[in-house]
Amino acid sequence: MKVNSESILKVNGLTKSVQLEGKSLSLLQPVNLQVNAGETLAIVGSSGSGKTTLLSILAGLDVPTSGEVYIKNQPLHQFNEEQRSQVRAEHVGFIFQQFLLINSLTALENVMLPAELANIDNAKEKGMKLLDQVGLSGRLDHFPSQLSGGEQQRVAIARAFISQPDILFADEPTGNLDTKTGKYIADLLFDLNTRLGTTLVLVTHDPKLAARCNRQVRMDSGVLSEVIDETQTQTQQNVESTINSENEKKADNKDVELGEGQTCPN
Amino acid sequence: MSKLTSSTWFKQSIRLLHHELRKGELTIVFLAIVLAVATVFSLTGFSDQVKQALTTNSVNTLAADRVLRTSTLIPEEIKAETERYGFDFAQKVQLKSMVFSSDNMLLTDLDIVTSEYPLRGDLLISKSSDLQNPIAVKSPAVGEVWVDQGVLGRMDTAIGEQVDIGVASFTIAGVIVNIPDRSFASVFSNPTIIMNIADLDKTELIQPGSRVFYKYLFAGDNDDLIEFGEWVKPKLNESQDWVDVKSSQSRIGRTLDTAEKFLSLASMLGIVLAAIAVAVASRRYGQRHKPTVAVFKALGATNKHIQKVYVLHWSLLSVISILTGLLVGYGLLQLGAMGIEKYLSLTSSSLTLRPFTIAVVTGLICAVAFAIHPISKLIATSPIAVIKGFEEKSSSKLNVYQTIPLLALFLLLYIFSNDLVMSASLLFGGIVVSIILLFVGKFLMGLGRTAGTKAGKSMHLAFANLKRRANENSVQLVSFTLAIQLLLLITVMKSSILSEWQQQMPEGTPNHYLINITNEEVPKIADFAAENDIQTQGFFQVFRGRLSAINGEATVKVDKKSDKADEEATEGRRGVGRELSLTWQEELSPLTEVVKGQWWDIGDETPQVSVEEDIAERLAIELGDQLTFTIGSDEFTVPVTSIRDVNWQSRQLNFYMIFNKSTFSEIDSTSISAWRVAEETKPLMFDFLSQYPSISIIDIDAIMKQLTNMIDQMSIAIELILVLVVLAGSLVLVAQVQASMEERERELAILRTLGAKGSLLRNSVLFEFVALGAIAGLMASIAMEIAVFFLQTQVFDMDFSLHFEFWLIGITAGAAFVGIIGMLSCWRLLNLSSVTLIRRTM
Repeated sequence: MKVNSESILKVNGLTKSVQLEGKSLSLLQPVNLQVNAGETLAIVGSSGSGKTTLLSILAGLDVPTSGEVYIKNQPLHQFNEEQRSQVRAEHVGFIFQQFLLINSLTALENVMLPAELANIDNAKEKGMKLLDQVGLSGRLDHFPSQLSGGEQQRVAIARAFISQPDILFADEPTGNLDTKTGKYIADLLFDLNTRLGTTLVLVTHDPKLAARCNRQVRMDSGVLSEVIDETQTQTQQNVESTINSENEKKADNKDVELGEGQTCPN
Repeated sequence: MSKLTSSTWFKQSIRLLHHELRKGELTIVFLAIVLAVATVFSLTGFSDQVKQALTTNSVNTLAADRVLRTSTLIPEEIKAETERYGFDFAQKVQLKSMVFSSDNMLLTDLDIVTSEYPLRGDLLISKSSDLQNPIAVKSPAVGEVWVDQGVLGRMDTAIGEQVDIGVASFTIAGVIVNIPDRSFASVFSNPTIIMNIADLDKTELIQPGSRVFYKYLFAGDNDDLIEFGEWVKPKLNESQDWVDVKSSQSRIGRTLDTAEKFLSLASMLGIVLAAIAVAVASRRYGQRHKPTVAVFKALGATNKHIQKVYVLHWSLLSVISILTGLLVGYGLLQLGAMGIEKYLSLTSSSLTLRPFTIAVVTGLICAVAFAIHPISKLIATSPIAVIKGFEEKSSSKLNVYQTIPLLALFLLLYIFSNDLVMSASLLFGGIVVSIILLFVGKFLMGLGRTAGTKAGKSMHLAFANLKRRANENSVQLVSFTLAIQLLLLITVMKSSILSEWQQQMPEGTPNHYLINITNEEVPKIADFAAENDIQTQGFFQVFRGRLSAINGEATVKVDKKSDKADEEATEGRRGVGRELSLTWQEELSPLTEVVKGQWWDIGDETPQVSVEEDIAERLAIELGDQLTFTIGSDEFTVPVTSIRDVNWQSRQLNFYMIFNKSTFSEIDSTSISAWRVAEETKPLMFDFLSQYPSISIIDIDAIMKQLTNMIDQMSIAIELILVLVVLAGSLVLVAQVQASMEERERELAILRTLGAKGSLLRNSVLFEFVALGAIAGLMASIAMEIAVFFLQTQVFDMDFSLHFEFWLIGITAGAAFVGIIGMLSCWRLLNLSSVTLIRRTM
């Protein structure tokens, strides 16, 4: 996996506070963070520590109280809703814990959606290909209600990658799935991410999942700190080297394909 | 930076619509708009047809804008003034005459008209005896007459044959289908013959002393007519009458008018319900689409994009619904028209543009006004919702009642009814009632909670749910209550109106009137009636006379219109101060009651009079007052010794003034009698009475038949509306239950997880709806009673009555109705397995 020094995401002195019964409650202490292209970052922390709040500001879904957020050098903190939408359409992908597929659209149509919004050609063909790669080529016309949880999240993953975003935000992507399916989904996510060289920011409280990222930061009561853990770094490097060796040949090839021998548990 | 091409939002919008329509997610909102449009379309079309039917049956037209009725020719001064104003002018002379064919003779009412007649309405004539293909005409040609169908039958003659009227001969040129100013109420009327006024002189019918009535018909600018009316009124004597459309209405005319008002009210209530259904459904539409919009936005869709997607989505949905509504409405209209056609020979089912336009406008108003708030809220959904969730803030619970929908509703009602007062009172009454219901409902649900804790588990759960969802429930409760109230209201009003109609024709209602019976003939005729089991009320000697003074004070100035006077005589409305039918009686009639004073003893030689209660009140006549009457050239004064309450609706022979026998001992006159003759006795009766050619027989069965048809026709209209209102009410219920579906799903999942049994959950849901329905039923009953009070006393001019039997129906029906529909709506949910339920809500 290549990590270059081009900064995809840059955060300076970001804070977030909310008014609660007339009092100001601070959710995020000043946060500084930089994520470079191709990097995978895990934000870990316990429930209520503020990691989801941070993620929603980083992704331009919410605005900070103070501080700066840049995605691809675009100052999100100065942008209005419409401009932030534009940035999301062009640079950002999402995977949610609740999958959040649109119930009245088929699997294929759900996958095509970001590509259409970003005005990318051949959305249908790309969508079909991606669904094939996540093992759902037979489910193109199924509605989310006709799919299992694992299958829904696979559709969500395909949807996240179709517009080839510069940065992908994943909020507890395996949180709603059983261990086995969760592992399969994680494999799929990291595999696609590696092949496409997408920058990944992952919020999770699952240490195993976090360990698969090259870097971890911990959120604790609104304070962000870098995690330097020898064993985890080791584990992570091992995992990374395994994946790298498996996909070495295709590493620079942006044409995505799921490796043979991977089976769907769901 | 690539801009979205216009085709992207278009494609996405169509895609969403296509899938959602197929998956049935838009069914409720679709049905709500369809129903609103169909209701308005069919009811507007239908009430137009009913109105047309009523007009062609001429219950309330004058054949002119104003009429001057008089028993003498009008002075030149008035004629000159008429010409100065330049009114359209026509004249009608009315008198009774025997008409002869080769074998038969018949007493008829002659309408002798000028060639301008009628100025308003249609005089319809058919060239065939079965009344087919009527044409609108003016006066008949000289030498020709048009006759009522009855004339052909009873004189055994036909079109093209000759009849003799007076000393002249005429050819029957056609059969009368409709006379615009025929007095529908006058049961005394004989068959009519219409003749040209140019033929009048050659008949030599008018001789000194003949009873002739003149109608001078005016049409023209309303302001001029009012001015002319003000000028002419002081110049009229007591035998002359200046009449406008309203004052010409007969009692039955007013009843039918009442029915029409009722139809219109019921339709308006139906529209209100359909509009509520649209409001509730569109609110739910907004809520359901929130996740979609949030995801769209999170994935980078701009507000403008979402706007385009949803405006197109909603517009297409509206257009499809409106078109379907028009089709359904057209079907209903045809159905209704088929119903009417059986009863009215004259229904032209030609469809005008009016119902179509009103229905489309209704659909658009519903689709725009009721959806604008939920859709603008939907478009404004923040993308952060993908993280924070889609919980609806409770502050929005009264959205339905915000200004735009209210204005829209008002507009809808006004467009439909064209009646500002009725629309405004319906709407503002509705708002006040809703607010009161909101509080009462919460209070009752709170009480239920206390009761529920003492009851079984499912009951407990049900009331806990009711109480917890009190805010949403009170909104639902208002809708349920209104729906049930409207249903009750319609049922109660229908039964009172129908029973009022029925009362006009009770058992034993006379179907024949015999007039002109001489004193010598009375015993023979009475014997015949007794021998043949014919119900009579006895024989009344009739004198035409005027009440000329009360306690010595002349009554000339008393120009009060009398509502009941039209049952008095052939000429209909002739108030007091004009000629009255007077009679004497020894014993009080069974249907009559003395309310003040005392009925005289048989054989009491002192002349005295008994006065009808209403007229006594109107003229402030008290017991002991001295009333002076003029009959011909005779004048006599008698004291009032009793005041009677008379049932005017019985169609028995009734009189304002009844004297004791000795009062009239000196005056000669003929008698009248009202008979109830069985169908099989009729030939015998006609045969017997043919020995007495001077006696006129008036067969009112035909008129009764027409009345019954009217009632049947109205019933069909009312039933059609009732069906539509029930549909609209059910739709509101289903829409409301649907709106709470997600929350219910979550709760059931939790309860299931905690180990609640299926039966417990089913019962608790059942109890919840049954309780909600019962509370709504109770409140609806109270609200209905209040509404009925106002309607009966203010709008319909009826007596107020309480309807406790309908309270029971209201509560039971409410509980059953809401219970069943609620259960049906939740059935799928209740039968899902725990696993599915939990997975769906996670």
